[in-house]
Amino acid sequence: MSSTTSAIEAAAAAERSAARYDQSRAARIISRTAIYGALLLWAFICLFPIYWTLTTSFKTAKDVQQGALIPFVDFEPSWIGWKSLGLSPDTIFETSTVREEFLARFINSVVTSLSASMLAIVIGSLAAYGLSRFEYKWGPFRNKDISFFFLSQLILPPVVLALPFLVLYKEVAMLDSSIGLILLYALMVLPIVIWIMRDQFKSIPAELEEAALVDGLSSWGAFLRIVVPISLPGMVAAFILSLVLCWNEYFFAALLTSTDAKTLPVMVASQTGSQGINWWSMAALSSAAIVPLCIVGILLERYIIKGLSTGAVK
Amino acid sequence: MQTSAALIGDIPASRKALGRGLIIAASLGLAAVLVWQILFVSGNVEEGFDTWRPVLYAYLAWAVVLGVSQVIIRGEAGQRALFVLPAVLFTISMVIFPTAFGIYIAFTDWNLSSFEGRQFNGLDNLRALFEDSYYWNSLGNMAFYVAMVLVEYAIAFGLALLLNAEIRARRFFRVVFLLPFMLSPVAISWMVGKSLMEYRFGPAANLARFLGWEKPAFFTEPWIAKISIEVMDAWMYIPFMMILLLAGLQAMPRDVSEAARVDGANGWQTFWKITFPLMLPVSVTAIVLRIIFKLKLADIIINVTAGGPGGATDSVTSFIYREYRDRSNVGYGTMLAEFYLVIIIIFMLTLLRFVSRWLRKLD
Amino acid sequence: MKVHDYNALMRRQASRRSVLKGTAMGAAAFGATSAGLAKFSKPSFAQSDLRAEILKIPGVGMGSPTDADWQKVGELCLGPTKETVQEGEFAGVELTFMGLNNQNLHNLLFRGFLKPWETYTGARITWIDLAQADYNPRLQQSIATGTVDFDIIEMGAPFEGDVCGKGLASEMPDWVKTLIDMDDYVGYLQAPVGTWDGKTYRISVDGDCHTFNYRTDYFESEELAEAWAAEGHEGPWEPPTTWQKVQEVTKFLAGKTDPFGMEAYGYLDAPKPWGGFGFYFLASRATAYAKHPDDPAWLFDLDMKPRINNPAWVRAIQDVVDALPYQPADQLNADPNTTAFQQFLAGTGALCTWWGDVGSAANTSDGSVIGDVVGFSILPGSDDVYNSKTGQWETLPSGPNFAPNMAYLGWGVYVMARVDSDSRKHKAAWSAAAHIGGKDISLWTSAYPSGFQPYRNSHFNVEEWTQAGYDEAYISDYLNSQAESYNHPNAAIEPRIPGIFQYYSVAEDELTRIFSGQVDAQTGADNIAAAWEKLTDQIGRERQIELYRASLGL
Repeated sequence: MSSTTSAIEAAAAAERSAARYDQSRAARIISRTAIYGALLLWAFICLFPIYWTLTTSFKTAKDVQQGALIPFVDFEPSWIGWKSLGLSPDTIFETSTVREEFLARFINSVVTSLSASMLAIVIGSLAAYGLSRFEYKWGPFRNKDISFFFLSQLILPPVVLALPFLVLYKEVAMLDSSIGLILLYALMVLPIVIWIMRDQFKSIPAELEEAALVDGLSSWGAFLRIVVPISLPGMVAAFILSLVLCWNEYFFAALLTSTDAKTLPVMVASQTGSQGINWWSMAALSSAAIVPLCIVGILLERYIIKGLSTGAVK
Repeated sequence: MQTSAALIGDIPASRKALGRGLIIAASLGLAAVLVWQILFVSGNVEEGFDTWRPVLYAYLAWAVVLGVSQVIIRGEAGQRALFVLPAVLFTISMVIFPTAFGIYIAFTDWNLSSFEGRQFNGLDNLRALFEDSYYWNSLGNMAFYVAMVLVEYAIAFGLALLLNAEIRARRFFRVVFLLPFMLSPVAISWMVGKSLMEYRFGPAANLARFLGWEKPAFFTEPWIAKISIEVMDAWMYIPFMMILLLAGLQAMPRDVSEAARVDGANGWQTFWKITFPLMLPVSVTAIVLRIIFKLKLADIIINVTAGGPGGATDSVTSFIYREYRDRSNVGYGTMLAEFYLVIIIIFMLTLLRFVSRWLRKLD
Repeated sequence: MKVHDYNALMRRQASRRSVLKGTAMGAAAFGATSAGLAKFSKPSFAQSDLRAEILKIPGVGMGSPTDADWQKVGELCLGPTKETVQEGEFAGVELTFMGLNNQNLHNLLFRGFLKPWETYTGARITWIDLAQADYNPRLQQSIATGTVDFDIIEMGAPFEGDVCGKGLASEMPDWVKTLIDMDDYVGYLQAPVGTWDGKTYRISVDGDCHTFNYRTDYFESEELAEAWAAEGHEGPWEPPTTWQKVQEVTKFLAGKTDPFGMEAYGYLDAPKPWGGFGFYFLASRATAYAKHPDDPAWLFDLDMKPRINNPAWVRAIQDVVDALPYQPADQLNADPNTTAFQQFLAGTGALCTWWGDVGSAANTSDGSVIGDVVGFSILPGSDDVYNSKTGQWETLPSGPNFAPNMAYLGWGVYVMARVDSDSRKHKAAWSAAAHIGGKDISLWTSAYPSGFQPYRNSHFNVEEWTQAGYDEAYISDYLNSQAESYNHPNAAIEPRIPGIFQYYSVAEDELTRIFSGQVDAQTGADNIAAAWEKLTDQIGRERQIELYRASLGL
C-alpha cells in the first residue's frame, strides 16, 4: 500500500494541524486519559483473579467464606495453603509426602510440556516451511488440503479420543510413560504451531533463499542457515503457546498416567472432593502451577510479540 | 517459484531404482512385522512380541527409509517433500488407530458396565442422536458461544490497539494482559467461577450488589448463566487473540497510517480504511484458531454449572463428557462426537472458503 | 474429610469466635438422646493401652497430623501384621495401590500407614492417586480395556457390581477376616455389603450414611417461635422430624431474619448435578416416602422396574420444586458441596443433609462460621409411607416412617484377582489391606482428619473419645446420629449393581430440567424411568436383576 502525498500537500496539512494545536492538545489529554483508563481497567480485570487466588492461599476457611479481600486488613494471613503442600516455612525442612508428590508431578509436568512443545516446534516448523514455500501434490491433496488435515486434528473433543488412546497405548506399552504423553501433547499443539509458523514463513521474502540457492545451498541448507535464524522469535512465540497448552492439559493426563508419568493438573483437580473444597490448598497449588508460566511469560514476552509480528502481515 | 516437476529431470535411472528398491524392502519389512504380529495375536503363530511396540519401531524405520529414498529418487523435490513428511507421518501414525477405532465404536452399543461388551448396532446411535434433545440443545448453545467470538475479537482488537499506542510501561501491560491465558481451566473454574463469582462472599457478587443488582446469582437464570460462562471463557482466551492481533499491528508499516493521517483522515477513518483491512489476514487466523478452541469449551462448564440450569449452559463437549465419562456410554458418546466433528468440518470449510473469497474480493 | 473439625478441635479451648457463639449445651439438649449409645456396651480392650496411645498422636491441640504421625500410627499398629508375617517375608514383592487423593488425604494417609509395613515386610508399594471426579471413568475404562494396572484398590461399595460382579476381585482369605475382626462392623456394613455370591471381598475402612443437620439457634429463637405460633402452625417451634415439617419450616422461614440478623432460610436443596452424587440428596428426601418397612426395595422393584416415577418419588421431587422458591437466589446452581460447606457452615440456611461428618465439622471447625449452634439427628421421616405393593399411602401404627439413606456405603479396600496367581503377592496384598483396615488404626482414622468416619461398633465408645480430648456432649450427639442411622432397622441400603452411577447421572440431567421448570415432576420422573429401563437393557437386564437381588441378600 503506497500513498503518494506530495510535499506541498503535506506542508499544507502540517499548517492546518498547527492551527488546531490548542484544540488537539485538549483532545490529546482526553484521549491519553481514556487510553490509560482503559489500560488500567483491563489490567485490573486480568490481575484481580490472580490476586484473589494468591491471597486465598493464605486464608483459612472462615476468611474465604467472609470474602476477605486485603491481607492484614481484612484477615490475618496464615500459611495454611502452603502448609498443606509442605511448602510453608515451618514444614519445608520436614519430610512431607504431599510435597514429594507435588515435586514429582511438577518435574514430570516440566519434562512433558517442554519436550512436547520442542517436538511440535521442530516438526511443525518444518511442515509449515514446506507448506509456505513449495507446492505439493500428493495424489489429490494439495497444500490447502494438507494444511486443513493438520488443522482438523485440533477439532475432535478429547474425551472421545481417550478410550482409543487408552487401547492404543496399552498395545504399544506406552501407558504411564512420559513418552506417551509427550507424543500426544505434541500432536495436540502441532496444528497451532503449523498455522502460526506458516504465516511466519510467508512473511519472509523468498528472495533471501533464492539467493542462497544460487550460492549452491540446498533447500535444507537455505532453511537452516537463513530462514531459521530470522524466524527464531516466531518459533519462541509458538513454543510458548504450546507450552501453556501442554502445561495445563488435564484430561489425558488423568487417564493415561498412573504412577511414573503423572502431572500437576491432576493434583489441582484432586483438591476438590466429596467434602467441600480446600480453598487454601487449591489456591496454593494453582499459584504454584502458574508461577513457572508467569516467569516464562515475563522473560520471553518480547519474543512473543516480536516473533509473531514478523509473520503477521503479508 | 519453481514447480517440483522441473527439478526431477537429472536423476539417473539407477538411483531411482535404488530408491524404489529401498522403499519396497522397507515396506515389505513393515508388512512382515505387522502380519506376523497379527498372526501371533490371533493365535496362528507361536512366537511373537508381547506388545505391539516392535511394530512401532518397524514403522519408524520405514518412515526413515521413506524419507531417505524420497531424496534419492527425486533429489531436490524429495528434499522439499522431507519438510512436510515428518509431520504428516507423525500425525498419521498417532491418529490412524484412534480415528479408525473411534469410527468403529461409534456404530456399536458399548456401555462399559455392560456384560456383553461391544455390540455392533448399525445406525441406532445415529437415530438416537436425532432424538436426543440434550444434544440439540447443547448444539444451540454452541451457536451462541461461537457467535460470541466476534465480541471477544472486538475486545481483543481494542486491547491490541491500546497496547500498540504510544504508552508508558508497555511491557508491563503486555505481560499483565497475557497472564489470564496461562492459567489452567480447572483452577479458573474454581477460583473464579466458584469463589470470585460466588453469590455470598464473591467480590464479583459484592460489586454487582454495589452496582444495584439485588440478587447477583450468576448461574441461575439461563441467559445470565450462559453469559457468565462466556465471560469466564473469554477472559481466558482474549489474550490469545490479542497477542496475535498485536503482533499484526506491530508489523504494520507505520508510514502507512501516518500518511493517512496526514491526508486528513481522523483516527476512526484511518482505522477502518487502513488498519482494519490490513489486519484482515491476521484476524482470520486469530478467529479461526479461537473458534476451534471454543468448539471444545468444556472444563469450565463441567466444574461450574454441570450444564445447568436445565441445560442452559451445556456445550456439546460437556454433554459428551457426561455421557461418556459419568455414564460410561462409550459407543453413543463417540457417535455424538463424530457427528459433531462432521458438522464442524463442514462449518469450518464453509467459513474458510467464504473468508478467502471475501478477502480476494477486497484485494 | 475432617480437617475442619480437627483443626478446630485443637483451638477449641483457645478462641471460639464470640460473635456467633452458640450453645453447645443446646445442641446436646436437642440432639442427644444418649439412649442410642447405650446399645454399645463398653468393649473389652485387649489393647486398650495401644488405643489410648495412638489417639494421642499427635494429640488434640498439636496441629494437623503430618506424614510423621501417620507413620508412627502405622508403626504402632503393626501388631497384627507381625503375628501373620515374618520380617522381610515379602522382600522383592511390588504392589500397586489405586485410590483417591482427596484434598491430600486418603492415599497420602495410606502411604504413611504402610511405610512401616513396607519396612517390616520388605514389600514395595507404588501409588496411583486420582481426583474423585476421575475415579469412576478411570476405573470403568481400565476394566473395559483390560488395563487393570493395580493390585489393591480403595473403592466404594456401589462399584462392587462392576468389580466383584465381573470376577476382578480376590476373595478374602479367612486369616484376614479374623485379623480385622469383621464382626465389629456396624450392622449395615455386615454381609451382604462387601460380598458377592456369598464370597467376601471388602475390607471396610469407612462408613457412610446421610444424617440431618440443623441450627439449634434458629429453634431457640423466641422471635421465630412467636412468629411460628402467630402464623397458626401446628406443634411447637422445634427441629422438624418429618419432611412434611421440613417443608413447612422452609416456607415459614423465607423472608424472616435469622438469629445472626441475616436472611433466614430453611432446608437447602442441592439441585445441580454432581457427577451422580447429587442424586443421593434427592434420595434422602425420598427414602422416608419410598422405603416401606416390609419391603427391602425402594429404588427398583425386584425385577429392576424403576420406582423413580412412583408417587413416593414424585412427591419427593415435587417437594424440591415447591421448596426452591423459598431458598437462596442462587440455589439452582448449588451442588451438595455448596449447600454444606458454602451455605450451611457459612451461616446460610437452617437445615441440611450430608454424610455424618459435616455435623461434627460445623460444631467444632474454626473454618465454619456458625460455630457451636448445630445439632444433628437421623434423616427426617414421613407421616405416611408409600406401599408399592398395594399402591397406597399408609400411615404406620408406630408413627412416622423413618428410613435413613445409607448413601455410598463408605470406602473399602479390595484386592484384585490378578494377584491370585502369585501366592506371595496374594498374601502381601491382603496383609497390606488388612493393615490399613485394622481395628485399632481405624479408631485413629475416625478420630483424626483422614477422609473416613466411624464404622465399627468399637468406635462408639464415648469414653475413648473424651479421653482423647473431645467434648462429651458434642461427641455423644455426633456419634449418636451416626449410630442410630447405621443400625436403623428400616435403613435404605443402596443397590450395589453395575453402573449404578450411570443411573444417578441420567437422573440428575433430567432433574435439573424439572427444577428449572422445563418439565413437571411426573413427566420428568417418567423420563428418568424410561431412561433407566433403557440403561438396564443396555447393561444386560437378566444379569442386572440377578445382581440386584443378590445385593439385597435375596
